[in-house]
Amino acid sequence: MVANQDAILSVEGLRKRYGGVSALRGVDFRIRRGEVCGLIGPNGSGKSTLFDCCTGLQRSDSGKVVLNGRDITKWSMNRIAREGHLVRSFQKTVVFHSLNSEENLVLAGQMSSFPGLLSTFSLGPAAGRRLRRLRERAAELIEISGLQRVAHLPAGNMSGGQQKLLQFASMLMPEPELILLDEPLAGINPVLIEKVIESIREANRRLGVTFVVIEHNTDVLMELSHRVIVLHQGAKLAEGDPQSIVSDPQVIEAYLGV
Amino acid sequence: MSTTLDTPAPVPRHLPALRWTGALAVVAALGVAPLVLGGYYLHALIIAMIFLLPAHGLNLILGYTGMLSLAQGVFFGIGAYVSALLSLHFGTSFAFNLVASGVIAGAIALPLGIPALRLRTYSFVMCTLGFVVIAQTVAKNWISMTRGDMGLAGIPQPKFQFGSTVLNINTIPAYYYLAPVVAILATLGFYALIKSPAGRAMVAIRDNEVLAESLGVPTWAYKLVVFMLSAMFAGLGGSLYAHYMTVVSPLVFQMYYSTTILVIVLGGGVGRVPGAVIGSVLFVALSEALRITPELRMMIYGFVLLLLVFSVPNGLAPLLDRGLERLARISPVTRGGRTHGR
Repeated sequence: MVANQDAILSVEGLRKRYGGVSALRGVDFRIRRGEVCGLIGPNGSGKSTLFDCCTGLQRSDSGKVVLNGRDITKWSMNRIAREGHLVRSFQKTVVFHSLNSEENLVLAGQMSSFPGLLSTFSLGPAAGRRLRRLRERAAELIEISGLQRVAHLPAGNMSGGQQKLLQFASMLMPEPELILLDEPLAGINPVLIEKVIESIREANRRLGVTFVVIEHNTDVLMELSHRVIVLHQGAKLAEGDPQSIVSDPQVIEAYLGV
Repeated sequence: MSTTLDTPAPVPRHLPALRWTGALAVVAALGVAPLVLGGYYLHALIIAMIFLLPAHGLNLILGYTGMLSLAQGVFFGIGAYVSALLSLHFGTSFAFNLVASGVIAGAIALPLGIPALRLRTYSFVMCTLGFVVIAQTVAKNWISMTRGDMGLAGIPQPKFQFGSTVLNINTIPAYYYLAPVVAILATLGFYALIKSPAGRAMVAIRDNEVLAESLGVPTWAYKLVVFMLSAMFAGLGGSLYAHYMTVVSPLVFQMYYSTTILVIVLGGGVGRVPGAVIGSVLFVALSEALRITPELRMMIYGFVLLLLVFSVPNGLAPLLDRGLERLARISPVTRGGRTHGR
């Protein structure tokens, strides 16, 4: 259910080249606040590059990224996360391997809880209170994710599926408004797929978090998404509700197949 | 949910208490050492405690943010020269010089760190190596300030005044009791740093810089602050060194000092506080103590290094940990423990 139709993220004429290859060729779209938007397309269509440009990991050659009405095109990645309340996952599951689950989660939330870099060097009572709140929230998320039994282990010693759940919980820690998920279901078993999907739905419904999800498991994505955008060769091919996308001849030819 | 980790290894409950007992035992042993050790061995321990400070600095930047800096010797030398110049030209006290050396070394690290920290891994190491060469050249050639190769001699030994009582730190046993006070304070400061939320951010940067950035951690700013803090630790060590040796020359900028600090941290165990302590005692005190056999000194030192590299490649601290864990397992066990800030 889309709660609000105004745009949380707008991308206008985004272009990005790697050497002689055009990864993005003037992409335009808007993400509505409160929706789950699927982003599909063949390999090399520019989906991950689009995420990289929206989150500051890559600088676009031209075009504009507007988040909550603010032009963030030239913002650093950490500023986008901190001030823009936008977080993302990566194709390969990544966690801080030498920190345990609680520390991973506290770290994920700490930059939005402390007023500035220097305040994080403090061990004073104010810092203690902030940390206490972060630890309480981390404990809740560990429980929700079912990671209690392995919570004390360094994340690097956890299984791939457990790391996936920890990664998802980490993204919820800073209480973001927008989460970009890059192939959240890749390489996980069907039970875990259900769990991740349920977590996305829960965060979307209960917390009002907006999601943009890149996923090759189109059946699941069509069921999960309110709207789908299709990229092909660095440009937007189609946009619409899942039903119209699966029956779009252009999309079928370029990506979905017969 | 499936898991491959159904039986995680329990952590002995008594391990933290054992660690603290061990730390207190080390402090107690240091306290009674003058009663049983001769002047030369005390000198070796003083040098070890002095080198512990720049080692803490390197441990912070290498062990917690994953950047190898060879410039610790530079900031150690800057701290030594700052103390020498302040005391010789302005007659300032040891305490003032100590603080000033740390602050000035940290301040000098700022303009050096801004360009250097834009570089990655090997380029950053090469850049810090360049700082060593430049610092040595400046110390040799800025004769009006440093007196070149002649160095600065006659640096006063520390003196503390409590009312009408004057405490002169002008003997080896007296300095032996001053050096650990500074070393222990620096170690506690180091602990405070790594236990703070910033310490967690440093570990995150070491583990995965891009992921840390994506969660809002300003990684470059953290690295710059850590570079400055590591320089401050080295500057404090340099000040202690200058007031102990009473002479400073461009030799303090030799690569030998930076490599000694590196050997302390790598040999002791990167990212481990006990590692730096063990490393400084073993590698500095051993090197100094072996001066009694000058012909065999460097050969024995090199042999010990080789032995360690092959037997405990991760340094001595993990070996100590395993020993303590084994000891702690004698008692009932429980799960728990955090991995951040060891």
